[in-house]
Amino acid sequence: MSAYTPVEMITYTGSRILEDKKIVFVGTGLPMIAAMHAQLTHAPGLGMIFEAGALSPILDMGLPLSVGDTRACRKACYLKGLCAVFELTQRGCADYAFIGGAQIDCYGNVNSTFEGGSYSKPRTRFPGSGGAGVMAASCEKTIIIMALEKRRFVKKLDFLTSIGFGDGSPDYRENAGVMGSGPYRVITHEALFGFDPQSKKMMLLEIAPGKTPEQIQEKVSFELRISPKLKPMRVPAAKDLKLLRHVCDPEGYFLTRKVN
Amino acid sequence: MDSKSHNGFRINGVKYGDKTKQAFEWWGPAPQTARKIAVSKSKALVDKRVSLKAAVKRYLRDAITIGIGGFVNTRVPVAIIHEIIRQGAKDLTLAFHSNSICAELLAGAMLLYPDHVSVKRAELAWWGYEVIGIAPLLRHLAAKGMIQLDDYSNYGMSARFKAAAMGLEFIPVRDHGGSDMERLNRGLMVSSPFSGKNTYLVPACYPDVGLLHVTAADMYGNCRIFGALCTCPEIAIASAHSIVSTEQVISNENIRTYPNLTEIPYLAVDALIEQPFGAYPGVCYGHYWFDMAHMQMFRNASDEFRKSGNKNPLKKYYEDYIFGCETFDAFLNKLPPEIFEKITQLDGGQPIIVD
Repeated sequence: MSAYTPVEMITYTGSRILEDKKIVFVGTGLPMIAAMHAQLTHAPGLGMIFEAGALSPILDMGLPLSVGDTRACRKACYLKGLCAVFELTQRGCADYAFIGGAQIDCYGNVNSTFEGGSYSKPRTRFPGSGGAGVMAASCEKTIIIMALEKRRFVKKLDFLTSIGFGDGSPDYRENAGVMGSGPYRVITHEALFGFDPQSKKMMLLEIAPGKTPEQIQEKVSFELRISPKLKPMRVPAAKDLKLLRHVCDPEGYFLTRKVN
Repeated sequence: MDSKSHNGFRINGVKYGDKTKQAFEWWGPAPQTARKIAVSKSKALVDKRVSLKAAVKRYLRDAITIGIGGFVNTRVPVAIIHEIIRQGAKDLTLAFHSNSICAELLAGAMLLYPDHVSVKRAELAWWGYEVIGIAPLLRHLAAKGMIQLDDYSNYGMSARFKAAAMGLEFIPVRDHGGSDMERLNRGLMVSSPFSGKNTYLVPACYPDVGLLHVTAADMYGNCRIFGALCTCPEIAIASAHSIVSTEQVISNENIRTYPNLTEIPYLAVDALIEQPFGAYPGVCYGHYWFDMAHMQMFRNASDEFRKSGNKNPLKKYYEDYIFGCETFDAFLNKLPPEIFEKITQLDGGQPIIVD
């Protein structure tokens, strides 16, 4: 078994963060694979929500390539539409959001709308919020996947699509009218971040073997807090890689991609 | 707003109150107009089957809002979009939560044939292809400032259709607040009249015409949907008029045997078209999976246009598959038959109740 790739490290880390007996709201790609891996290992009681309308499907036809496709609906316990699953989420039934984006700031706010230029004439327009904005608002905890690059870990977002801790003020989320508790983890292949409970700023919790906090800081535009209990990131074992490569994404739709 | 209002906490420092100064304008029919249209319709159980050509001719006008059903690649009303492009309409407003090929087909038509098709704006949550990649034509139109976008979350757009389906003007949602969507979209933060807490309201979205593709329907337009419902029932009921294509027409007796399975009632359907593979190259649960190669082919032609300005491959797609076809069946007949065997097989024969 060859050594793990950055994408496999991200996916494995996503999996181990998910607790058993919870519900994770997943998007297409790595979040689905992480949730599948978690179900096959430490979290058999983990359920998934797909935003097109499926609650707790059994992915026995393989990895869905779209959150609305047939595979994502397969053997679900409850299969309706977007309103139904987002309203369950708004009600408090989804524990984890799993989102990505193009930029993140120190308070865990995420941009997936545009980069450069202006809103009406953006240099690079992205697809938009999709489910991310509502997942970040209404799931209890938000997990964000991001490539560790300076241009992505920015001081100021070009657009705030998915709410994190806003400007860091203690009642930002309450004043915004959202119910979830907010950003929980940020996963990259070289570092795992959490948030300082007081300042709400991003904090380095774990670091990939062989890396130093200084090397991580170099890839982040804002000043990182460093946990006094900084730990090494766990790396995927051979059995995890086997599951990821041969069971979760055997066709390599997502795991064979580069990090960015 | 009182001092507790959310604007004091804006990251960008742009005051939310700025939005209230602009008079709100309904892009589709106002709720009162939508209601009048509903009241004026015959409620009889009549055969609503028409040709796709006739249905689009009856409802397509310049400057209307069209609500697009499905979700990204799922049960997207591709057949209806082809006919809209053939007939042409200008200054359209598109309303959808997440879409791939329908929105891109309209965008491409606008770029190639601006005197025939044009999209003025889109109220949306997401425009892209998921696993296949970003939407090149959206990126192009946005970068050139050729389209106005009004951004919501997927729930925001779904809730807007739901509010319209309920006959309301707006609906409160627990998201958008604290994001730049709050600052820029057409929703509004208010104080709850009960608790005084900040509450975000999104305006209802009443399309002039809703476009839906469903699993099965009887001739009166009672529709069954298997797989994810997406927001199709809400869009159908929200729209002043709905054009529905269906994989198959089933008996009214069967509909009445399982009335719980009707997701769109006949009252919300104005024109029904039996169109097998009507969501192709998208996916339709119980019938076929999506044709990734075909999506990629169209997307590659779009991306080549975006990157190099070369319109030829994109133009060829429209000439061969849309303008070169009298009907959607003619398009399907131009494709190798084994594609349909393959995507049918990939569905895995999901159980659906149609007889």
